[in-house]
Amino acid sequence: MRRPGERAWWPYAFVAPALIVYVVFIFLPVLDTIRYSFTRWDGLTAPVPVGLDNYARALADPIFLQSLGDNVAFAFWFCLLPIAIGLLITSLIARSGLPGAWLFRTAAFLPYVLSLVVVGVVWRWIYSPAFGPLNQLLTAVGLDSLARPWLGDFDFALPAVGLAGTWVEYGFVTILMIAGVQKIDEQLYEVARLDGASSWQQFLHVTLPGLRNEITVALVFTLIASFRIFDLIFVLTKGGPGNQTSVLSFFVYKSAFQYNQPGYAAAMAVILTAIILTISIVVIRWREREGAGG
Amino acid sequence: MHLDDIRRRFARTGTLLVVGSLLVTACSGAASPTPAPSAAPSAAPSAAPSTAATPATTATPVAGGCASAATTPITLMEWDQEVREGIGPVIDQLNSEFMAANPGVTIVRQAKSFDDLKATVKLALADPNGPDVAQVNQGRPDMGAAVQAGLLLPLTSYATTYGWDKRWGAGVLARNSFSDDGKQFGTGSLYGVSITGEIVGLFYNKDKYQQLGLTIPKTFGEFEQQLATIKSKGEVPIAFGALDGDALQIYGSILETMVTPQWLNDWIYGRNNQSFNTTETKAAAAELVKLSDDGDFTKGYAGIGYDDSAKLFEAGKGVYFWTGSWEGATLTGAAGEKFGFIRVPPQTAGGTSLSIGGVGLPWSIRKTAKNPDCAAAYLDFLTSDHAMQLVAKLGVLPGHSAPNATGSSALFNEMAAAFADANSKDEVGHYLDWAFPTGWDTFKAQLAKLLAKQASPDQFVQPIDKEYQTFTASLK
Repeated sequence: MRRPGERAWWPYAFVAPALIVYVVFIFLPVLDTIRYSFTRWDGLTAPVPVGLDNYARALADPIFLQSLGDNVAFAFWFCLLPIAIGLLITSLIARSGLPGAWLFRTAAFLPYVLSLVVVGVVWRWIYSPAFGPLNQLLTAVGLDSLARPWLGDFDFALPAVGLAGTWVEYGFVTILMIAGVQKIDEQLYEVARLDGASSWQQFLHVTLPGLRNEITVALVFTLIASFRIFDLIFVLTKGGPGNQTSVLSFFVYKSAFQYNQPGYAAAMAVILTAIILTISIVVIRWREREGAGG
Repeated sequence: MHLDDIRRRFARTGTLLVVGSLLVTACSGAASPTPAPSAAPSAAPSAAPSTAATPATTATPVAGGCASAATTPITLMEWDQEVREGIGPVIDQLNSEFMAANPGVTIVRQAKSFDDLKATVKLALADPNGPDVAQVNQGRPDMGAAVQAGLLLPLTSYATTYGWDKRWGAGVLARNSFSDDGKQFGTGSLYGVSITGEIVGLFYNKDKYQQLGLTIPKTFGEFEQQLATIKSKGEVPIAFGALDGDALQIYGSILETMVTPQWLNDWIYGRNNQSFNTTETKAAAAELVKLSDDGDFTKGYAGIGYDDSAKLFEAGKGVYFWTGSWEGATLTGAAGEKFGFIRVPPQTAGGTSLSIGGVGLPWSIRKTAKNPDCAAAYLDFLTSDHAMQLVAKLGVLPGHSAPNATGSSALFNEMAAAFADANSKDEVGHYLDWAFPTGWDTFKAQLAKLLAKQASPDQFVQPIDKEYQTFTASLK
């Protein structure tokens, strides 16, 4: 709809600056990465085209597969757990009219706003057996048998990093859900109440279906986060101990900058992107179908 | 909702966000573990006790190099990673002194963190507008790769002109040398010169020594007995944090009290088909596990970062701190006279024993630099006796001995004495991760498994050897 005097190309002019930045700094480098993924390259001399060699190598590389496995493991901490927590909180406070709920919402959302590097630094301190509050707290309440060298522990390093991720994501999911609940028609709840539905049943049959879109968005965003994770790993464990927390993006980084194999790294990055894209599309399509049917 | 309500909500939320972020940033500032100073594999300080005949290089650089700058101004761009306490300002000072002594020359400095430099320097050297002079990490992944790609200028002729082969011994120069095709390491042309020196050993707390009645251990066995004594008195024997990979220095130190220089050089430089699966490597692994099992390390060390372990040591929570002299500047700053430094004692009294060490990250010249002669004069100045004096005064080990290069603290003098001792006996060893490009990651991962009892000494050495053999095979 155009107002009088407005030109047809004005919208494009407004979008142009951001679009140019996006194309130059993101789109073109992505194309470059795809191009390099078909070469063997040490980063210094001329790249040698090798077709699909890098892709074949990646899919057979045990470190690649293990890193991917770690990403899937992180999906629990970054995606499933935050969504569960978000739904729980939503069911408790979204319609309760608690005074001060806004304060809680803001506090919950803060971690999501922080740079992941800052999050990593804070949690590294929390988990430190030397200075961190976690072990001190456990010892103070007599539970020092539970105190472990978290980030260096073969069993607990991944959950420890995962928990930091849950802390980041749950606020985002919660805000999304709470906002979503606002738009559910109050009449539906009245009807359910008149039919004798308990709070839990109301949640199951009114709130949950009403939040379909929000859950989809949360799923997609948090799944992407669990596959993209890099900053937290870099600051907290650098993939250790052993290979317990080595994720794909970190392996890509090491291959490119430490092992002098940016061609191989590019191929892995492309595979990672394809995986994320596929997951996003699948999730969105699935929810759309469910929505259309339900 | 009423417009005013919305505005009020925003104001409240906004204020909270700001205050909250500030609070969190303040808290996180309290303990920021920086990524570990990845053991910059330094070359072994080759025993180069300069005899009195060596002409002392003064603050005035050799005239020839930059003389042309008087007519046509020269700009030298340099990239370095000397951002640690002490050494950073030294570079700035040396740069201004060089500019003052060479009219027409401007030095532009770009200081980055070690990780940053490592990730960017090779690409920068390939760029025609890149730095003329840059610090390139020793070893195959960085310097070796750069030489293979034809990015670095061979410095052998300058070494003769400026007498660098008298400043450092053959062992040191070897660490900064590669064959011109970049395939052979530890031989060939010289590609870089280093300012600082490094040695890995034991910092010790002098107060605790007195309290517990300890003396400098003469053998490794004596050292172990001391650890038991310290523990029985309720103190922490060795302040240690393994989270950032420092276990490699401890393991390497133990191993290098057991091997011959011949084997070590061969293994590091990829010569003579050596294997990592030997009696010594497994014995050293077993010893490391024993130290852990005996409770000689800080409790929970697997989850403690390197910088945190240094803080623990400074706070007296550890009689020993087993790491490299690069920590010296921090410790001298603190309660300087409280700490000392010794080499890791040999297995047998008076026996041969190597100490991990070498010289700091070397400075190289880009092959296509426009003013290589001036750049070489600059390098000569950076490694002159005068520079050594400056470096020493700030508690950092100088890369070669020089007259009056003494520090201001007892700790520094003990570090320098240990370095000189290792040099004079030609007992400077290597950083193990030099041997192959994935060395650092492989050792770090395997050591974590070894210490967590997920791998026996046998299972520990095998993957390392496998990676090594794969790499050396690719060189042929």
